[in-house]
Order: sequence, then C-alpha cells, then structure tokens
Amino acid sequence: MTVQLKGKPEVVTIQWIPKYTFMERLGHWLHTATFIPLAITGMILYFPFLEPLAQGEAGLFVRLVHRVAAVIFGLLPIIYYIVEPRRLLLHIREFLPRKEDIGWLKAAPAYYLLGKHEAMPPQGRFNAGEKLNGLMMIITWFIFGITGVPMWFGKGVIPPEIFRWLVVFHDLAMIVSVCMLMVHLYLAVAHPLMWAGLVSMRFGVTSAEYAAEHHAKWYYGPKRAMEIWEAKKREGAHH
Amino acid sequence: MNGEKTERRMSRREFLGLSALGLGISLIGARPVAAARAASPDEVAILYDPVKCVGCKACQMACKRWNRLPAESTDPLGIYESPRDLSAITWNIIKLRRTQTGWHFFNYQCMHCTDAACVEVCPTGALAHDPLGFVALNRDRCNGCGYCTQFCPYGVPHLRVENALTGAAKSAKCTFCQDRLWEGIGGPACAEVCPVGALAWGRRGELLEKAWARVAELHARGMDVRIYGETEAGGLHRLSILLDEPEQYGLPSAPKTPAFARAWQRIIQPLGNVAFGAALLGILGAFLFVRRKIRMEEVK
Repeated sequence: MTVQLKGKPEVVTIQWIPKYTFMERLGHWLHTATFIPLAITGMILYFPFLEPLAQGEAGLFVRLVHRVAAVIFGLLPIIYYIVEPRRLLLHIREFLPRKEDIGWLKAAPAYYLLGKHEAMPPQGRFNAGEKLNGLMMIITWFIFGITGVPMWFGKGVIPPEIFRWLVVFHDLAMIVSVCMLMVHLYLAVAHPLMWAGLVSMRFGVTSAEYAAEHHAKWYYGPKRAMEIWEAKKREGAHH
Repeated sequence: MNGEKTERRMSRREFLGLSALGLGISLIGARPVAAARAASPDEVAILYDPVKCVGCKACQMACKRWNRLPAESTDPLGIYESPRDLSAITWNIIKLRRTQTGWHFFNYQCMHCTDAACVEVCPTGALAHDPLGFVALNRDRCNGCGYCTQFCPYGVPHLRVENALTGAAKSAKCTFCQDRLWEGIGGPACAEVCPVGALAWGRRGELLEKAWARVAELHARGMDVRIYGETEAGGLHRLSILLDEPEQYGLPSAPKTPAFARAWQRIIQPLGNVAFGAALLGILGAFLFVRRKIRMEEVK
C-alpha cells in the first residue's frame, strides 16, 4: 500500500531541552498517585449515590485507603524539600508574583481558546496559571492537613463545635482542588497548545521551540525575552 | 456563509446538550432534601416520669443484658452515677441531677429525634428512622466515620473503636430495641423491666395524653413540672417529664440539628455539585471550541 502525500514531505526535528528534574517528576506523580485515591475515597462519603461503597466492610476499606494515602500525601512535600532544599528556594522564587502575571490573566482567554499568542507576555518556567494552580494546591494541602489530622485523632478530644467546622472546610478544600484537577487534566492531556506539558512531566524534557513559545522568560532569560516580545509587537503594529 | 451558519447551529445544539449534561451532573450529586417531618401520634415512644423513678438502675441492667453489652469499669468516687456517662457499651444510664428543686434522677438514653442530626450527617444510611419513628442503627452499614458522635445535640452516639490506627470502628447507641419490637418480643427492654412504671412505652400520641394528664396531676399537687420532647427537634420519641428547666438537667431547651450540618449538606454540597458541573461543562465546551479554533498543524 502506498500513501499519497500532498505537498512536500517535511521532517520535523525536535530539539529537546531539560525542564523538570527526576525528583520533581517523582514528586509530581506521587502527589497524583495519592491525591486521586484520596479524592475518590473522599467523594464516596460526599456523593449520596455512592452510598453503597461507603457502607460496612467496603466503607471501612475506603477509610483505610484514605488514611494510608493521606499520610503519604501529607508527608510528601515535607520529605521532598528536606531532600532537595535548594529546589525549595528555586520554587519559591519561581512562584513569587510577577508583573507578567497580570499580562497572562488578560491574554489567557484568547491564548487558550483561540491560540492567539501576540498579547501574551513572556512567562517563566511556570506561567501565571501554573503558579495560581500551585498556590491553590499549597493552600488546600494546608487545609486538608489542618482539618484532616484532628478529624482522624481528635474525636472526643476537640469540642464538637470545632469538629463540625473541620468537616465543612475539608469538603470545601476538596471541591476547590478537584475542580482544579479537572482543569489541570484537560490542559495536560487534551489541549493542543499544551502538547509538550505531559511529555516534560513524563520524560523531563521539553521542545526548545515550545519553550521559546510558552516559557520565553525561562528559555531566553528575562531581558532577551522582553526584547524579542517588544520586537514582535512592533512588527505586528506595522502590519 | 452557509458553512458559517452550519457551524453556529452546531454550536447552539452543543451548547444545549452541554447545559443539560451539566445540569444532570449537578443533580446526580444532589442530596434529596427531606421535607420537614413532624412526629406522628401512631409512632412509638418512651415516656420517663422522674417522680416515679426510684433510681434502681434496672433499666440500665436490662439494656446491657438484652443488647449483650459488657460491663464498664468506673471511677470509685462514691458517685451514684455509674458509669458517669453514656459510652459505646452503655446506652442507658440513670443520672443524678441537682437542680434548684433538689436531687432528681434522670434516665438518659437516645432521644430518638424526628429531626435527627445523626441521620442527617450519616453518609452510609446506617442511622435511619424506623417506620415507627425512632432512630435505628444498622451496624452492618456503619463505616465508623463518627460524624454522628460529633453532630448529635445530646452527645448520644459513641464510637466503638476496634483499631485506632486503621480507623475500624462502629457507632453505637440505643436502638429502641428495634429487634424486640419487630420480632414481637415486646417493647424496649428498659421500659419493660421498670418496676415502678417510671419508664413506659407505647404509641406516641397515647403517651403524650398520659404525660399531659400526669403533668396536670402533679401541678395539682403543687409541683412545677413540664414535658420535654413534645416539639423539641421535630418531636422526640423519648418523652420526659421534668421537675425543672431542661438546662438544669443538661438538656438543650431548643435542640437543633447544628446549623452547620444543614449548611454543610444542603448548601455547601449542592454548591460543590454546581462547581463540579460547571468545571466539567467549561472543560467540555473549551474542548469542543478549541478543537475547532486551534489547528495542531500550526502549533509550535
């Protein structure tokens, strides 16, 4: 069988550059592997139609899974930053709010829905959306811990009035984080523009062209990235 | 032009479909909101009369015997209450209360609320109303989450912890001797055994009439008494005659399902469902929209 190609066949060579370290990826996937069971086992108590899974022996098993996963989920970031303290400093620096975050917020709808990148200011290794996602993950991680640990060990110790608040905030943190996970999954798996995201989280590398396009500030450095962006804007204004 | 029109019609149909889907997702998770129920006179109840009670604790013993609950070691402080409070293995106790009118006995057990916080928060359906009105506990369904122990305004349910580490536990509380009732053996063991008729059981309507007659009689004797449980928490299935204000007995004068239990299950959970629905809808919409607008061939 022969395949008729229209036009000239073109070979695209991707130049791969490192983006995430092995430990960063391991941390990411262990976080995934614990958060998803936590969300599923938690939702079994949340959704009335899952009630049969919450009952009796099944329910006891569900609660055990939730606890085992919770221990790993809770300790993971602590262990990670003990093992890699320099990454903690780097991540804090990378996640601090910057001027280009406002630009990202303004340009994001056209960027993600229509693929128009002209208005998108150069972003670092983590763009403003990833930073927001990360910030919410840190906040909800704290809420899960602050509410979850007393819910586990505090029955009969802490006053019921406080316990009732804990349950509600545990639920709220779950609602927020599961909604974010859904958006995160879509962008990682199904959004055409973000094709290299999953590759880099699996293999640690990203395409140089992709990095130049989506993470220019990281790829070129802040100064050079701004020069290129300004030049592109001037060029766009002439047309 | 024609093509553009077709595209728009497609979008609208997809929009409607997606809206229906989102609505469906929000509804799937919706908890059926039970209409406010009032206790019916045909339901069963227990009536406690502290004037008749001699504090013999036969009720306490009968409860232990019928429900095969082990004995409990207590602190030897010379206090009449033994054990001091309800626990996972003590579902019925005689409390001694010092009120402004003197020392009084009070039989403490599950109040079997009509508007029951434990039933509201139970995620497994283990705690549910028996057709006869009281709150039954199905141990096989219970997963030991312990929410009931934290939301009951009377502090009645307790967890029987089998393994503190794995969290294996079962809730435990008075079941109104549901097994005795449905097997036709008789009424609750505590009420059946009471030698002085301080605990009586029967149809709730008849017991209320009896209680009001007794209150009138005691008023005539110059005693300041009142009925507790006629309207509290939608009507309790454990009615009591009190010789003082409920607070003096450590009973809430207006027991309610904690506002938070309601906010949690009726506001926050539905809002969460809307949030999940909206997120899914937004993602599906974006997926269909982006697929048309962004061509992979042009993506760097």
